[in-house]
Amino acid sequence: MTGYLIRRVLQSIVVVFGVVLLTFLLSHLYTKDAAARACLGPKANAQQIQQFNHQYHYDKPIVEQFWIYTKGILHGNLGNSCKLHQSVSSLIRSKLPKTLVLVGISTIFALLVAIPLGILQVVRRNTATDYFLTGASFVGYAMPAFLLGELLILWFALDLGWFPFEAPQAATVWGILADPRALVLPVISLAVLTIAGFSRYMRSSMMEALTEDYIRTARAKGASPKRVLYRHALRNALIPIITLLGLTLPAIVGGAIITETVFNYPGMGLLTTNAATQNDVPLLVGTTFVAAIATVLGNLIADVLYVIADPRVRYS
Amino acid sequence: MQSFGSGRRGTRGLVVLAAAAIVVLTLAACGGSSSGSGTNGTTSSAPAQQGGTAYLAEGTQAAPNYIFPFTPLQYFSTTNFQQFMNLMYRPLYWFGQGATPNLNPSLSLASTPQYTNGGKTATLTMKPYKWSNGETVTAQDVIFWMNMLKVEKLNWAGYAAGTIPDDLADVTASGNKLTFHLNTSANSNWYTYNELSQITPMPMAWDVTKAGQKPQLCGTASFSEVTVSSKTTSKGTTVTPVSAAAKSCAAVYKFLASEANKLSSYDSNPLWQVVDGPFKLTHFDTTGNVTMVPNKTYSGPVKPKLAKFVELPFTADSAEFNALAAGKVDVGTLPASDITANATTTGTCGLKPGANNPRLSANYNVYAGSTWQINYFPFNVNSTGNGGNSGKLLKQLYFRQAFQTLVDQPTLIQKVFKGYGVGTYGPVPVCPTNNFAAQELKLGNPYAYNPSKAKSILTAHGWSVKPGGTSVCSDANKCGVPAGTKLNFALQYVGGSPTEDQLMQAQKSSWAQAGIHVNLTTGTFDTVLSAAVPCSGGSSCQWEYENWGGGWIFAPDYYPSGEDLFQTGASSNSGSYSDPTMDRLIKGTTVGNSDLGAYSVYGAKQLPVVWQPIQIGATEINKKLQGVLPLNALTNINPENWYFTK
Repeated sequence: MTGYLIRRVLQSIVVVFGVVLLTFLLSHLYTKDAAARACLGPKANAQQIQQFNHQYHYDKPIVEQFWIYTKGILHGNLGNSCKLHQSVSSLIRSKLPKTLVLVGISTIFALLVAIPLGILQVVRRNTATDYFLTGASFVGYAMPAFLLGELLILWFALDLGWFPFEAPQAATVWGILADPRALVLPVISLAVLTIAGFSRYMRSSMMEALTEDYIRTARAKGASPKRVLYRHALRNALIPIITLLGLTLPAIVGGAIITETVFNYPGMGLLTTNAATQNDVPLLVGTTFVAAIATVLGNLIADVLYVIADPRVRYS
Repeated sequence: MQSFGSGRRGTRGLVVLAAAAIVVLTLAACGGSSSGSGTNGTTSSAPAQQGGTAYLAEGTQAAPNYIFPFTPLQYFSTTNFQQFMNLMYRPLYWFGQGATPNLNPSLSLASTPQYTNGGKTATLTMKPYKWSNGETVTAQDVIFWMNMLKVEKLNWAGYAAGTIPDDLADVTASGNKLTFHLNTSANSNWYTYNELSQITPMPMAWDVTKAGQKPQLCGTASFSEVTVSSKTTSKGTTVTPVSAAAKSCAAVYKFLASEANKLSSYDSNPLWQVVDGPFKLTHFDTTGNVTMVPNKTYSGPVKPKLAKFVELPFTADSAEFNALAAGKVDVGTLPASDITANATTTGTCGLKPGANNPRLSANYNVYAGSTWQINYFPFNVNSTGNGGNSGKLLKQLYFRQAFQTLVDQPTLIQKVFKGYGVGTYGPVPVCPTNNFAAQELKLGNPYAYNPSKAKSILTAHGWSVKPGGTSVCSDANKCGVPAGTKLNFALQYVGGSPTEDQLMQAQKSSWAQAGIHVNLTTGTFDTVLSAAVPCSGGSSCQWEYENWGGGWIFAPDYYPSGEDLFQTGASSNSGSYSDPTMDRLIKGTTVGNSDLGAYSVYGAKQLPVVWQPIQIGATEINKKLQGVLPLNALTNINPENWYFTK
């Protein structure tokens, strides 16, 4: 297992390096002076563009630019965002915790709702309850995030006044958590989609587990339906959910652009999207770097949890 | 197989578990603190109240991010200057008097400059303003700025080769009187509005290279003591400090710029607390939340009545609208998508907003005011597109006239901008009402929409006009291009905006009426800007029309004299337009004694670019907040004038 983990970590470094390299190269495949124009605007003259290119090394060969960037990463320097006038690392440091809070809470909430819902659907499968919840899942899955968010704001914030119209505006994690009312609507908005998807996975995973031989054995040995359901079937049915969770980590880190926009909660999603649309190359490569790390980490965590959840699984 | 439908007791637990999760969130919601009120006032009929907190919505994703007034171009924005720095550090001259773009003597730190010696000498007298640390705003504080400009001009947003400080022989101070000695004569309006407008006096407290130091040489030296060596090569221009005073300026700039890079320290750094404006900063975070309180030592004519002025950041128009609907902001912009009733136009510049959005009408009034800008998109007179004929065609005035005559600005304003817009007729804005544009242009568009006229122009110049199709040149002698040339052009514009899409598609249909076929494509902002550059032929010079959607905003070059836009070889003359008469007229407005009238008319009629309508924002103002009007044409805000009524 240890050897497996070491090999996976080394592979992950190569993957992350490859992603960063690819993003760097792709973000430089634009017309000359594009980064300068994006930053300086239409009033920039040739002298100012030249100075900008020199300051940010865009006048050097692409290989040299990447080498300078890589050296920076190794020293913890991800460069500076020209548009936002902050270092990429400080931007990520300020936005990432906010994103982790919002998306993390919504994911946990979604799991707490989706798993019981999935089980309920299996227990009551092919009944009105099952059909209703299936339909609700499809509606939740199909509902555009911006529409759900705006409707929630309209009904529960502006019309009824039950909740604030925007997510917590504090700059720190503790400040955000100190305003739980303001988290309700954005969390629900984000969680609906996850609940829809996870509950469907849980339902099918439980149904598959309940057809296994060990379930028949457990019943034959006199186990109560409750014991069979929770002690035997659930644990095995959760294994695919664990894998899904691991794969969700990049999404958690990457943020939720729509929810962030609708609820005025600038996080990693908005940061990355703006970096791409505004040709803020250092920021784009920096956020991609973080997303790449989250992806490989998520996969690694999923694999480790898989081993813990299923003793039959061994990595050689 | 045994069904689990009989396990009802087991399922009860599942329902409870799922519900518990929902209950947890609901309980959390009930236990949280309530948000503060965005307004603070009573009925509007009672007298002004002292105090209160006014909330301003910042532009979407446009939070301030620079505090040092000596700003590089990338941070030169309305958000940073007009809505942030200018509230704390007053520029030497304030522009925007009421709704006009004129110099505002009452808010300026110096008297209106007097020009003598044939326009080669400008003299002004400093008013008795105070810095918040007790020192006086002196002529030397202006020279401090000028000294730094001499050394660090390449880091100044408004610098262009040949302009301030390059055009100065010397700047001298005698008591509170300053004298600018120019190398050559300058038009007084141009020099005041475009050159002196760039100056912000700096306190001696900033003349340091580390915290707690005494003033260094940069702020105390005379302008002539600062000597530099400039060198221009193919790789660009470098400015090297030579004298001790110049080296001091370089060191001071480096220190101040590095302090300005520490955004999280803006509200705590003592440097930035030395202000001469009506407000000082008490809170700033990197998300864009700004809180200011009145500067009790402000020397200006109107002292703030508010207790606090707060700026709030927003991720999107919809988020800002929600804040307005919740009453969280006092002054904000009504997103175009939420305008529910068209504005109406009276005369050339009169704009009457329509009924307010029903969600906002109880608490807000809506207003609209023109901004000091023109909107246009350039064409490339050297284009090698269309078999090498595009450039030749775009050089023909008759073609440009036909093209412009098919742009129906009034209809575009009504249908696409919902009435919130004004037309651009030439290089000098006709709105807001001003004394710069010729009266002739204020009476109307010289190229008003007229498809029949457009077709006649083309027909008269040898074109076989095919409405809905593609017109073809049938007489080369009249067309100016070979027979058989088709009117087929490529126009790239910035995508991602439904408004811009509508605008371009509507015009494409208009142009098609005369058989001018325009192929529309979209690109990112920087792609379009990168494409719209001067070129002189060859395969890389094929662009024909490029539209970045914003035209030109006149700041800090408030005098729209055109030397940056339409003069031959000008830095922003993207399409390489060149006309000796235009050059002569522009020169008259910068170094001669001409006003802008002749230039504005000539530019309007010669069509160096394609004029486009300007979209105007609708501003929502809390009914209990007074003093915000009139809206400043240069987007300056004066919260010191704001007050709540009961």
